[in-house]
Amino acid sequence: MILKRSASYSLLFLASFLSLFPLFWTISTSIKDRVDTYSLPPKFFSFTPTLKNYTSLFSLEKFWQIYSNSIIITLGSTFICLVVGSLAAYALARKPKFRGRTPLEGLMIAIRALPAIVLLLPIYKLSSYLGLYDSKIGLILIFAGFNIPFAIWLLMSFFEQIPVEIEESARVDGASTFKMFTRIILPLAAPGLVATGIFVSLLSWNEFLIPVIMAGENSKTLPVLVASFISNRTLDWGPMAAAATVALIPIVLLTVVIQRWLVAGLSSGAVKE
Amino acid sequence: MIAKVSRPNLLRRKNLRPVAQLTIPTWIFLALVVLIPFFYGVYISFLNINLASFLPPSFVGFDNYQTVLAASETWSTLRITLIITFIGLLTQIPIGILLALVLHENLRGTKTFRSILITPMLLTPVAVGLTYRFMFDTDLGVINWALGSIGIEKVNWLGSQTSALFAIIIVDSWQSIPFVMLLVLAALTAISPSLYEAARVDGASASQIFRRITLPLITPTLLVITMIKIMDFLKLFDTLFILTRGGPGNATTTLGLWTYKTGFVFLEFSRAAALGVIITVITLPVYFLWRRASRGVR
Repeated sequence: MILKRSASYSLLFLASFLSLFPLFWTISTSIKDRVDTYSLPPKFFSFTPTLKNYTSLFSLEKFWQIYSNSIIITLGSTFICLVVGSLAAYALARKPKFRGRTPLEGLMIAIRALPAIVLLLPIYKLSSYLGLYDSKIGLILIFAGFNIPFAIWLLMSFFEQIPVEIEESARVDGASTFKMFTRIILPLAAPGLVATGIFVSLLSWNEFLIPVIMAGENSKTLPVLVASFISNRTLDWGPMAAAATVALIPIVLLTVVIQRWLVAGLSSGAVKE
Repeated sequence: MIAKVSRPNLLRRKNLRPVAQLTIPTWIFLALVVLIPFFYGVYISFLNINLASFLPPSFVGFDNYQTVLAASETWSTLRITLIITFIGLLTQIPIGILLALVLHENLRGTKTFRSILITPMLLTPVAVGLTYRFMFDTDLGVINWALGSIGIEKVNWLGSQTSALFAIIIVDSWQSIPFVMLLVLAALTAISPSLYEAARVDGASASQIFRRITLPLITPTLLVITMIKIMDFLKLFDTLFILTRGGPGNATTTLGLWTYKTGFVFLEFSRAAALGVIITVITLPVYFLWRRASRGVR
């Protein structure tokens, strides 16, 4: 028994170490001097931290524009996902059957199942006709479209927990559907809205393929900037690690906040019928 | 005709139509990103659009499909996708099960460990790819340094097909094992403890319990995971793009990345659309198996 327990703990510690090491390594490389970054054996703790890499990253001509693009697109698409998603999630959670439910769920699952490139090729062509190529509005709409299914799956699980009786009594009191939804259902599902919002904004924040295809100079996002470091001939790992850290830190902070709901979000859509 | 509902009358009368209408905005968005693009993509695949050419596109029937199916890259990239999928599944599912089993023991600190272990799947894949690319560096990378300290010679990780495929699978596993772990953990939690007690009373050994009780009961979940992962390997893009860009040559290019390259690097747009349709056809049976398997999971 003791033997088994210590084996379990060793496994957990090993797995935790492997899970966190790359994160630690990115952050530590981002605050290292060039000499320390390239030293062998690698310097894990014995180096003098510096903010040089960050100053050179922040002084990149377009850095702040790209950073604000990422934030605007993430917030915009998350907002749409919550508004549009909560309406549909409410319908799906409350009505086991209605006309159009099956095809709707089919489309939602198609987004989870199909490689995005299959849909993005035609979307690219269509958006250049519509003038939506390299526009933030265009990216917000496309991000929202791709993430709405995840918002719906997650929100459904919160709406399902609200007892129908509450709605029934509100209805007896004469509340309209809209009033009931905004005054009763949404406030009760507030924690769910927050968790879903954070989860969906993670998806948007991390998204790479959509902006790599759909964004030019105006609407580039942070992952595209991070990726562009790799195509430079001179690989300078310090600023690269700083860019990666800037992308990763908000995630680490946010996930600490939504720890409780994270598990539901991460497996959403996988086993739902 | 509106489907019958099991809810009380009160809800039936007033509420039926509004509730179905609530999905209209979602319909609009999904039409914009799935429905219309999909059919437009099929249409494009029958034209001869080349992004570098200014000639008006014309209808070419199944030409693109013929070209694409005759091209050796289509088959070699499909083969690479299958290799990555196969080895990836063999790596990720056992490790995921193992970690889920350990977390399921509910030792002290389990919650903290679980939070730590799911961190990788949340992180920006592009940033993860970049970090690993640094770690895989032949001369300066921390991985070769660690291997060197136990006497293993330097590996040029991203320089040859075999090792680059392994590097890709390692990075994908790092980000995907938590997903396997979470789903298996959910399945384990759903197993009634009384089953285990009964087995223990009957004197079953730990491995017998695993093989006879745990494994059969988590099999539906494992099938779901397998199907989802097959689709995810077809989708694999971000880390692959950063780590190798499908190189050296096309040695690590998957079918999905090949479609991207065909369309946006070689600008053969209609051919890429044809590849997209082919990918959809490949995905379909996996999709149906997934939906079927997921019915067994609750």
